[in-house]
Amino acid sequence: MSIMSYNGGGVVAMKGKNCVAIACDLRLGVSQYNTIATDFEKVFQFGPHLFCGLPGLATDTLTVKDKLRFRLNMYELKEDRKMSPQVFTSMLSNLLYERRFGPYFIEPVIAGLDPKTGEPYVASMDLIGCPEKPEDFVVSGTCGPQLYGMCEALYEPDQGPEDLFETISQALVNACDRDAISGWGGVVYIIEKDKITRKTLKTRMD
Amino acid sequence: MGSERYSFSLTTFSPSGKLVQIEYALAAVAAGAPSIGIKAQNGIVLATENKSKSILYEEHSIRKIEMVEEHIGMVYSGMGPDYRLLVKRARKLAQQYKLVYGERIPTPQLVQKVAMVMQEYTQSGGVRPFGVSLLICGWDEGKPTLFQCDPSGAYFAWKATAMGKNYINGKTFLEKRYIETQDIEDAVHTAILTLKEGFEGQMTSDNIEVGICDETGFRVLDPASVKDYLANIP
Amino acid sequence: MAGVYAVERPPSGFNFENCRRNKSLIEMGFQPPRAQKTGTTIVGALFKDFVVLGADTRATSDSIVADKNCDKIHYLAKNMYCCGAGTAADTVMTTDMIRSQLELHRMMTKRQPRVVTANRMLKQLLFRYHGQIGAALVLGGFDVDGPHLYTVAPHGSTDKSPYTTMGSGSLAAMSVLEQRWRPNLTEDEAKQLVRDAVAGGVFNDLGSGSHVDLCVIKKDKVDYMRPYDIANVKGVKQGKYVYPRGTTGVLTTRVIPLVVESEEVKKVSGEAMDTSA
Repeated sequence: MSIMSYNGGGVVAMKGKNCVAIACDLRLGVSQYNTIATDFEKVFQFGPHLFCGLPGLATDTLTVKDKLRFRLNMYELKEDRKMSPQVFTSMLSNLLYERRFGPYFIEPVIAGLDPKTGEPYVASMDLIGCPEKPEDFVVSGTCGPQLYGMCEALYEPDQGPEDLFETISQALVNACDRDAISGWGGVVYIIEKDKITRKTLKTRMD
Repeated sequence: MGSERYSFSLTTFSPSGKLVQIEYALAAVAAGAPSIGIKAQNGIVLATENKSKSILYEEHSIRKIEMVEEHIGMVYSGMGPDYRLLVKRARKLAQQYKLVYGERIPTPQLVQKVAMVMQEYTQSGGVRPFGVSLLICGWDEGKPTLFQCDPSGAYFAWKATAMGKNYINGKTFLEKRYIETQDIEDAVHTAILTLKEGFEGQMTSDNIEVGICDETGFRVLDPASVKDYLANIP
Repeated sequence: MAGVYAVERPPSGFNFENCRRNKSLIEMGFQPPRAQKTGTTIVGALFKDFVVLGADTRATSDSIVADKNCDKIHYLAKNMYCCGAGTAADTVMTTDMIRSQLELHRMMTKRQPRVVTANRMLKQLLFRYHGQIGAALVLGGFDVDGPHLYTVAPHGSTDKSPYTTMGSGSLAAMSVLEQRWRPNLTEDEAKQLVRDAVAGGVFNDLGSGSHVDLCVIKKDKVDYMRPYDIANVKGVKQGKYVYPRGTTGVLTTRVIPLVVESEEVKKVSGEAMDTSA
């Protein structure tokens, strides 16, 4: 078994028109098939318009979340300004590459709006911090392969927040249905300039 | 580094609460060659005197105005060798920031980090404070910034200032001449005039240096361009 | 320096705190995950007064295409670029570190950095890590001595050659170069040759794919063409799967409004110089 699938779970993020969405499942398992929690969120808020999902080994999810929070707080205190998603990506990439020879077992996904321009932004990276910034969507986690398929089929550019919600939710729900160790509920965040909408999804519980 | 016995800090409080070593360092600055910094609407100018001690001296072999990052420049009054160490540290700090955050360092951040280095040398064992004051100028998000950094690690933001020999006269002159709405060309003119105030002998493009920072970045003017500016000086 | 009280300094270099844990996890029978690879076909070719670099744009993790349009020609200096193959993070980070060092070197020496300098820096860095940093590079640039082209292998050995290629598609690319490279091709012929070499990799090596990026470095000019050629045009999506609003079952909705409550503009005014320090 790969250590990346010890706990299971997946994250996906998509660009829309003046908005971005990021979603994750809620399952936490041990030794793959033993579900021990169904309220384990893998997406965290790091700023008014900045979210980051950290699927992978759950212990590292929490460690890296705290380390990121620490570095982000230090940056914002020192510089008296909000961190842009681009800078956040760079910082996280640096944190992961520092541990090139003893990595954290997570593959992060970043979604946000630029604090100045409001430009949508999504990015992902591998476990040693190689950043990837595509124009449409990013996926990660044990249901990553399934999410790739769903997103390639469902994704449409320039969707508004309501339609983007349907697209990302259907991508997540259907991908999780084909991954035994992901699912058990989902959370979607729709990030817009003036509001964040958090929705929990009704999914299969098997 | 060295024996433990000698690694106590040389910067020790006097009974009256002063750190005399820092005051001596400031005296070294005040005895150094003058340097000027002026903020204009569309840029910042740094200027300094770079006189040769002898006619045998090879001109332009040592630069006093240095680039730290594409958009940040620096000049000093005081001791040259100390300055070069700080330039090296500042450049490295700027590059480290770029590697971590993928962005150019904002000038106030760089100033803060350099000031931190200077402060460290007032409180560490086996070292002495730096014998320089720095002028650091930068262009951030469409705005000019100008800072002074002292041996104590204190730093100030200026619209225009003078350091080094005759700095009191220089500042009085700038207080009279400074116009907030001036553009960079006028600021260069004012900077050269301020230098000229206390200048001994003939001012030429070989014994002063001028650096300009604007939206295109920081650059040190070549002697030919300085000569053009000097031609307009009465 | 003894007795530093004031400054907390982040430790530099790599951090090995997780190594012991990760090793015991592997000993327990867990598979370590693989990092993203570039797969890659990268090509460099040297001519009379310019050098051409080329790369495909596919990144893979195992057999999944992780990035369909990734950038493999990295900036080192104004007169120098470097293609990277191997572990994706290593090529990105290594070239970025050398970019930083070259910039310091440029400011210190007040000269445009030479390609040999970059080559030395790269090989010394990679040799220090005994091939553990998996970066295979093709370095090209133009300096006071004219155009140069180097290959840097992950263990730190380097070659200086008139045409070179690296990555999993290098065999396909080399077959094109071996047949058609001539020392004095024109710029257009050279670009076509490098494109064809990369395309050889794109179509015959499954680790390489998508488009062809090119970078032509001349005396005072760099032409960075991304993409130079879209070798694989994506088909137009015929259908649309747009779910009507309300399809997804929603359990809870929480709207967090982001309202600007107050805005404060601080003006920093100059203070008198504090001579008492």
